[in-house]
Amino acid sequence: MTSAASDPAPSGFLARRRLGLRVWWTMLVICLEERLVYRGDFVLGTLMRFLPIVTQVFLWTAVFGATSSGSIAGYSRNDIVAYYLLTMVSRAFSSMPGLASGIARSIRDGSIKKYLVQPVDYVGYLLAARIAHKLVYYAVATLPFAGVFLFCRDYFPPIPDWTTLGAFTLSLVLSFLLGFFMEATLGMLGFWFLEVSSIVFAYMLVQYMLSGHMFPLDMLRDIPTGVAGVSVADVVRFLPFEYTAYFPAAVWLGKVQGAELVRSLVVEAAWVGVMIVACRIAWWRGTRRYSAFGG
Amino acid sequence: MHNSSQPRTNASSATGEPVIEVRGLAKEYRVFDKPEGLLASVTGLFNRKSRVVEALRGVNLQVEKGEFVAMLGPNGAGKTTFLKLLSGIITPTRGAATVLGSVPWERTDDFRRRFALVMGQRNQLWWDLPAAESFRLHKEIYRIDTPRFERTRDELVDLLDVRKLLLRPVRDLSLGERMKLELVAALLHEPEVLFLDEPTIGLDVVAQHSLHRFLAHVQAERQMTVILTTHYMKDVAALCKRLVVVTEGSILYDGSLEQIVDRFTSHKIVTLDLDAPPDPAAIDRLGFPCEIRGPQVILRIDRTRIADVLPGILRGQGVRDVSVEDVPLEEIVAEMFRSGSTAGTDGATGAPR
Amino acid sequence: MTRYVSILLTFARACLVRDMTFRANFVLECVTSLGWMAMNLAFYLLVFTFTPEIGLGTGWTKAPFFAFVATGMIINSIVQALFMPSAEELTEMVRTGGLDGILVQPLDAQFLVSMHRIDFSAFANGLVGVGLLAWAIPRLPQPPHPVAILLYPLLVVCGVAILYSLVIMLAAATIHLGRNQSLYDFWFYLTNFSRYPAEIYSGPWGGPLRALCTFVIPILLVVNVPARVIAQPLTGQAGMMVAGTVFAAAAALVISRWVFQSALSKYRSASS
Repeated sequence: MTSAASDPAPSGFLARRRLGLRVWWTMLVICLEERLVYRGDFVLGTLMRFLPIVTQVFLWTAVFGATSSGSIAGYSRNDIVAYYLLTMVSRAFSSMPGLASGIARSIRDGSIKKYLVQPVDYVGYLLAARIAHKLVYYAVATLPFAGVFLFCRDYFPPIPDWTTLGAFTLSLVLSFLLGFFMEATLGMLGFWFLEVSSIVFAYMLVQYMLSGHMFPLDMLRDIPTGVAGVSVADVVRFLPFEYTAYFPAAVWLGKVQGAELVRSLVVEAAWVGVMIVACRIAWWRGTRRYSAFGG
Repeated sequence: MHNSSQPRTNASSATGEPVIEVRGLAKEYRVFDKPEGLLASVTGLFNRKSRVVEALRGVNLQVEKGEFVAMLGPNGAGKTTFLKLLSGIITPTRGAATVLGSVPWERTDDFRRRFALVMGQRNQLWWDLPAAESFRLHKEIYRIDTPRFERTRDELVDLLDVRKLLLRPVRDLSLGERMKLELVAALLHEPEVLFLDEPTIGLDVVAQHSLHRFLAHVQAERQMTVILTTHYMKDVAALCKRLVVVTEGSILYDGSLEQIVDRFTSHKIVTLDLDAPPDPAAIDRLGFPCEIRGPQVILRIDRTRIADVLPGILRGQGVRDVSVEDVPLEEIVAEMFRSGSTAGTDGATGAPR
Repeated sequence: MTRYVSILLTFARACLVRDMTFRANFVLECVTSLGWMAMNLAFYLLVFTFTPEIGLGTGWTKAPFFAFVATGMIINSIVQALFMPSAEELTEMVRTGGLDGILVQPLDAQFLVSMHRIDFSAFANGLVGVGLLAWAIPRLPQPPHPVAILLYPLLVVCGVAILYSLVIMLAAATIHLGRNQSLYDFWFYLTNFSRYPAEIYSGPWGGPLRALCTFVIPILLVVNVPARVIAQPLTGQAGMMVAGTVFAAAAALVISRWVFQSALSKYRSASS
């Protein structure tokens, strides 16, 4: 589904109005219609996303079967299952399919020009479109998600208290913003490099591993970096990636609590701020460069 | 084979040997409507509404060896569908067709080696590679032996004067240059039948002209049977003696280029050059539809009455020059497209079936 | 037959010429797919810091498991290089009508569709796979049986054939649907099951899943059988397993051929 960022609304439409409520509403409805047209793809696609987890769960079950201790890096087998399922929720918020490549493409083919002449903020427009898409996605995907979670309810610890739930929700919203602004900034590298698809792919690789999508990041705690007393996990914690998959899941599972939880949320918010600024700077310098060199 | 092969009379280069025979060929598509509005989209989840579109409604056509037939019609008339059926790309809903004695949609290798299809809007050559590479592949696929391949290639390349383009990546070529190379590729295996789907679309006048010259030459030399679909009357006038007009999936007219004028227009266009701009009232008194452009008067006069009326007009004062012409083909065809299906029932009565 | 080989060589030549005109891109593609491999290997190494064996008593200790992973890399790289780019392009060809051009050519359409683009950069992973296999084999608890060494290439080819059949059936589905952005996704999710030793699928859910992926969609035979033959001691079941895999590969080819042909007969061509 790469269409989100790549097919902006008709130019006349945007030229006439600013991003008012009506635009948002129209966009929402169009997105929903678009989704429904390809409903076969959609239902199947959502359910298929759980398939890799099935494999991971069996893999870890086998690993647990061969070890004497009932816990790896503080995770029981059930915790692992719950963790993978929860990262799916995180990813549903933080992943931005097609965003960076869409921006890069519109820079390359020159369609970005119209945002330079129109009274509309490109990033704001993209954000609106993305929110619309995400809302629609949740509206339709909640059902399959709920089904899977209900089916796997025995793997989960008891539902956490309200504070934790609030922190979980906040972490998800922040992870959406973080994911959006990271990818948008990445896409704007297209102002400087002709072909950003390799950069995007490299980013996805790093993101996949260091966000905790592949395995709980706590497992890196005992992997040494070579510097005395510093583990790989300590390094990874200084990067923004963990907030896009690991962190919300860890919050739900009660791995992060109390002062640590507050500190992490503040750091996450700070990362969002940093990325917003980075995105602004990239846009500002990029468009200046673009108009100077004539694209 | 069908038993009723009537020899055609109005195609001079034809040899009387049927190469393409089409009877009652029909193609229907089932299309799913995208429902308008949100609620409709939701209900559409459960039952999608579909309707049947008739792209072709029982077409009959017979083409003989060496004929160059033009198919004219508005967008969506079914021209491309017709060519796709004859190329075996799609199968018909009803009806029968044979091309070179084979049923196209059986797609036998033997049949596919004997014809070629060129689509103006599609690219058959490898985009990132020089055309020479595509030609080499073509040679393998069509099993052309090396001497014959080289001879044909050199001949075609020289005719179109594109030798210097052979080693450049296709993506760096202009549309006209690319089209020329597409044609070379299509003709390398010396097809007996050639289908051209809007080959001149988007080309400039110079490129169009050189394609016309090339096609006319190769067709005559090889006695190739060609069906060409187009939007441009120029293509038709330059290349074809026989014209087939299609609208809404039916053949509206099938006959010679000259006859279409006789059959579908009742008047001629008479242009008078006068010494001075005339008095409009005096011209009106003649009683014909007219148009006045300065000292020039254009009259539409019924063909049967021209001989009676013209002398009287010419005797009038200040007539310096006169010309009598047929209605332009564009106008006739545009009129046919407009009247479309209503004329379809009796419009082609004179055309051989 | 020789004609098909010479056409294949022409394709390969053309694709190589193309790759070499975009050399920087080619190198980048190699590097990124190697990056993906490296990441997976790092993950497996991580897993082995927590356990000596994948599944108690399965024999998939470190060296055999990495032989398994290497086999997977080799098989997947062959499929990625030879068939995936063409199959992916089929979606595009259906959308734009490029398939029309293939159907009028006097050659088997399935051959043209599945072979006309070759991605040489995907072979990079295969080379790494061969290297990894060379590392793992001397470290196996027991050296591979001579028969196993003979059978291994055959079983790799069978694995490729099974995956190819799946690719071509998925591609046929795109002819039906008219679009399929998720072909690659679906492929990824499906082959995901073949990434690990079949033994991990056990228990009330794993058992049926294993049976399904062995006998219905024989995806578990793809990597497992060659890897098991080379990395684990040959048992009495080995003969059955090998025969079954060869049969499954043949059956998959036949069925996928049928699916593809029937999809072609329903092809409706893009309107122009």
